[in-house]
Amino acid sequence: MPIEAGTQAPPVLAANRISKSFGEIPVLFSVDFDVRAGEVHAIIGENGAGKSTLIKILSGFEQPTSGTIAYDGRVVTLPPNGEAEALGIVLIHQEFNLAEHLRVVDSIFLGREIARGGIMDLGQMRERARELLQTLHVDVDPNARIDTLSVADKQMVEIAKAISRDARVLIMDEPTAVLSLGETETLFEQIHRLTARGVAIVFISHKLDEVMRIADRVTVLRDGQLIATVEARDLTPDSAARMMVGRELHNLYPPKHEPDVDAPRVLSVRHLSAPGIRDVSFDLRKGEILGFAGLVGSGRTAVAEAIVGLRHRTSGEIEVNGRVAHFASVAQSLAAGIAYMTKDRKGKGLLTNMGLRPNLTLLTLRRHLRGVFLDTGSETRALERAVRRFDIRARDASVRAGQLSGGNQQKLMLGKTMESEPAIIIMDEPTRGIDVGTKQQIYHIIAALAAEGKSIILISSELQEVIGLSHRVLVMRFGRIVGELVGDQISEEQIVRHQMGIEGKAA
Amino acid sequence: MHLFKTTALSAVVAGSVLLAGAAIAQDKTYTIGVSVPTADHGWTGGVDFFAQQAVDRLQKAYPNLKFVLATAPDSTKQAADLEDMVTTRNIDGLVILPGDPDAMTASIKKVKDAGKWVTVVDRALSQPGIPDLYVAGDNPGLGKTTAEYFKQAMPNGGNIVVLRGLPIPIDKQRVDAFMAGIEGTNIKVLDQQFANWNRDDGYKVMQDFLTKYPNIDAVWAQDDDILVGALKAAKEAGRDDKMWFVGGAGMNQIIKMVEAGSKQVPVDVSYNPNMVATAIDLTALHFVANAQVDGTMIINSTLITKDNAAQFDYPNTPF
Amino acid sequence: MSTAATEQQTPPPRPARIRFRLGALGPLLALLLLMILGAALNGNFLTVANMANIVARASFIGIIAIGATFVITSGGIDLSVGSMAAFIAGMIIIIVNSLVPSLGAGWGSVGIGIAAGLVIGLIGGAANGALVTIGRIEPFIVTLGSLGIFRALITFLANGGTLNLNFQASDTYSPLYSGSLLWIPVPIVIFVLVAIVAEVAMRRTTFGRHIAAIGSNEQVARYSAIKVDRVRLTTYALQGLLVGLAAVLYVPKFGSANSSTAVLWELQAIAAVIIGGTTLRGGFGRIWGTVVGVIILELIGNILNLQNLISPYLNQAFQGAIIIIAVLLQRSRRTTA
Repeated sequence: MPIEAGTQAPPVLAANRISKSFGEIPVLFSVDFDVRAGEVHAIIGENGAGKSTLIKILSGFEQPTSGTIAYDGRVVTLPPNGEAEALGIVLIHQEFNLAEHLRVVDSIFLGREIARGGIMDLGQMRERARELLQTLHVDVDPNARIDTLSVADKQMVEIAKAISRDARVLIMDEPTAVLSLGETETLFEQIHRLTARGVAIVFISHKLDEVMRIADRVTVLRDGQLIATVEARDLTPDSAARMMVGRELHNLYPPKHEPDVDAPRVLSVRHLSAPGIRDVSFDLRKGEILGFAGLVGSGRTAVAEAIVGLRHRTSGEIEVNGRVAHFASVAQSLAAGIAYMTKDRKGKGLLTNMGLRPNLTLLTLRRHLRGVFLDTGSETRALERAVRRFDIRARDASVRAGQLSGGNQQKLMLGKTMESEPAIIIMDEPTRGIDVGTKQQIYHIIAALAAEGKSIILISSELQEVIGLSHRVLVMRFGRIVGELVGDQISEEQIVRHQMGIEGKAA
Repeated sequence: MHLFKTTALSAVVAGSVLLAGAAIAQDKTYTIGVSVPTADHGWTGGVDFFAQQAVDRLQKAYPNLKFVLATAPDSTKQAADLEDMVTTRNIDGLVILPGDPDAMTASIKKVKDAGKWVTVVDRALSQPGIPDLYVAGDNPGLGKTTAEYFKQAMPNGGNIVVLRGLPIPIDKQRVDAFMAGIEGTNIKVLDQQFANWNRDDGYKVMQDFLTKYPNIDAVWAQDDDILVGALKAAKEAGRDDKMWFVGGAGMNQIIKMVEAGSKQVPVDVSYNPNMVATAIDLTALHFVANAQVDGTMIINSTLITKDNAAQFDYPNTPF
Repeated sequence: MSTAATEQQTPPPRPARIRFRLGALGPLLALLLLMILGAALNGNFLTVANMANIVARASFIGIIAIGATFVITSGGIDLSVGSMAAFIAGMIIIIVNSLVPSLGAGWGSVGIGIAAGLVIGLIGGAANGALVTIGRIEPFIVTLGSLGIFRALITFLANGGTLNLNFQASDTYSPLYSGSLLWIPVPIVIFVLVAIVAEVAMRRTTFGRHIAAIGSNEQVARYSAIKVDRVRLTTYALQGLLVGLAAVLYVPKFGSANSSTAVLWELQAIAAVIIGGTTLRGGFGRIWGTVVGVIILELIGNILNLQNLISPYLNQAFQGAIIIIAVLLQRSRRTTA
């Protein structure tokens, strides 16, 4: 929704010929960028293209190695550590900067508490917070603790915080990566309200359809270079993808091989109930990719966790290869050949402060024992294999997992999971926050695994991905399976109808 | 009644406690609070032991006396103990050995202001005139007595090292008096370090002194716990026969060595934790016999030698 | 940087850079500086006898600190180690004394006392661990509680005074402290052996990897099929066992134990662990660093006793400054080099 006034206005914030190196490693080369009042300017590019570095420079968190920043037409040096907020430039990080133990109202006014003589005026702060949340149409109690909020609500609190700071430029790093479709809609409404008030918005996204819907202009980065800044209406998915990866992106999804209807059932779940899910039943066949669609919080992760023993099962049966198998821990499920790849890469998947090798072998340390001692040589060989097989790109071997880009973290997790040679792999949001090039790689890996005879449960909030890969799709809503789609039935419309509750329980 | 032989006065007092107990009609009940530091080293351990022993003995002797005994690891707890004693236990008198006398002065004054009898043991408060009875250990006396022994044992002088306690006023009083006592002699103090009234630290400091100085003729360890550690270090280094040691306090293990005529530990200097028992006895006497016991009573630090050591060898003491 | 077709080529990971190694040497650097300082202040400092004194003294807290390295690496803390050591020392003395009338004062009685000391340590540590894992209580609180309990128990057992080992049994027992193996004092030999085994366990066993993973991120560990509770409990039990071992070696030193035995050893042990480069919040630990840390702490006391420049009143200030500098050395190395 381009706003004419916006496109004519002079830039609020502009970067001129910005370059940036970390040590000897250059990450940005002479990039120009600007954003105008009332405009939404999206930045797209593969992981490692320099998007995050660019917005950190735009918000003062990093200083450019060369080049200048102009604010309201004047060349400025932005203050570090988020102090640029005082100037009206607010960055909302991908990992939210909210203290989990504080209340909503405390978070919104953190560092800018309304106080008289050192005593906080809690009543007024609460009132202001409530008003603010109301104008955003956010139904959150100002007294709720941050850690009790959903991801989407946390995002809204971040936005409320930004608005309370009278942001003139609001920069968002992948705000929709963790949001469901509905939540994304709400966010976009907020963005429209903000642009109508003249706020300039910069945002990074990996979702091309969103970018084309919400942005006025789009800047494409690749390998630290500015490829182009174009009007969003001139962009097509193909042209965007071409600019991002520097090559044609055919067949994002590999061709589906025909599912074998006679293949043995490797996993049967019968009437499974657990906290968050009720009466879930389904089968999984050898070599099958079974998609799990549904809104965030519809119970898909709960099903996975209940199967592998991470969540207490209240009733129901699970059969593996025809035998009843109930797991009390991940170790047991792994021994039975079922592996679960969490969607929470940094919180539950990887030891971010450790290197690649210990992360890769954490599940399967026993395989690298010589007597009672770990054979680091064997571990290193395993890492070399995984690096080749999954194309994990690290600056060097000493890099810690937390320093990898999201895509490479995901590949490392995939490597870690596959080290255990599971027959059944449950992948939870395997491409969240990953660039399109890496996505394509992961899709091909998933398809190849299925072709090898592995069975895969694919939990994803990206409908295109579920549709593009799955032989069969189950749709969940409020902790239950509400629909099953096979073959030609698998379409975006059908899935959405099920997950919104428009369609009754099918087939 | 060898318990009270440290001074002539206490022996007399103790005798009258028993006499009075037999004579007086026991209609009114009195409660006496006893507050002492937790046993954090040997000497305070002895204090706790003798306090408990005195309380048990007096309770048996006088059915109309009740005692509240509390041990405190620090001043905060000790102050809280006093408040509890006054408000919930309704004490008539208090016997206190303040862990840190400066910090405790205000709290003790409050007890006094509430009209209670106050007996302070060992450590002087920062404000004069508070206690009804002050039973004082003689810290400068300990230093002085020790110095006199050194002078007599080293008429031609010699090299000595000093292992001090903790950096608190008692320690300074002892060391200052010692230094004043040996002034003008040829006794040379090579070094002094804190050994924290603790065996491990006594051992460490002595070990390092032995490394540092090839010729040490004698050692003054300011307390018998330190002395045990220092002896062990010298013995390990094979130099224990080249020097002699003097400790302080009258720990049973050391008394036994003196009694046996040890060459390494020829004497000890008393600073006996049973002074707390004397204080409790006198306070009890005030209540049951209405005896005149107020004022200040100083318990001398005497030299314990082979000849008189038997008097300081109390049976069953854990100290 | 090429713009096209980077997709197909994966640059092989380069070997870890030198800077991590330099950072790792922080504690050794501090040790070296202290050695130079000590040698400059006193000619006797670098003698074999003095070095042996230092390492022998360090061995008690050292053995305990090695246990603490495991606990801290797994994200826990154990404040009870000093009190526990005193309690176990007291128990060994009581047990040996009570056996002397029936078994005599030979190795029979002493051996049972030693075994009992180790078992009591193991049980005490496991109890701490069970309260932390099964009881789900913060380790700080659990071990603060057991610190008080053990300290009170030794005071109670000693009736406020000192427990003394039977004199004849003391003679039997004493070689375990004052004896030598190939001219090396026994406590040092045991300290070194424990350190070597622990270093290998930390680096080369699944146990070591698992505790680092748990300390780094407990959730990740749980999702990676690690039996988190069992591993954490094991770290506390191991800590207890090592406290027991330290007590076993300590008893023959003075043949006694009282309420002032091993006071504040927990802080010394934790300080040594941190000086050695283990992170206090868990996730990374190294045993050799702890060994260096313990020796640094012991060196500080030694140097203070051997010099005449600093007033004894300032001893603690000097100690504090050295500890901070030792940690700073690692910090600056890690970020700048």
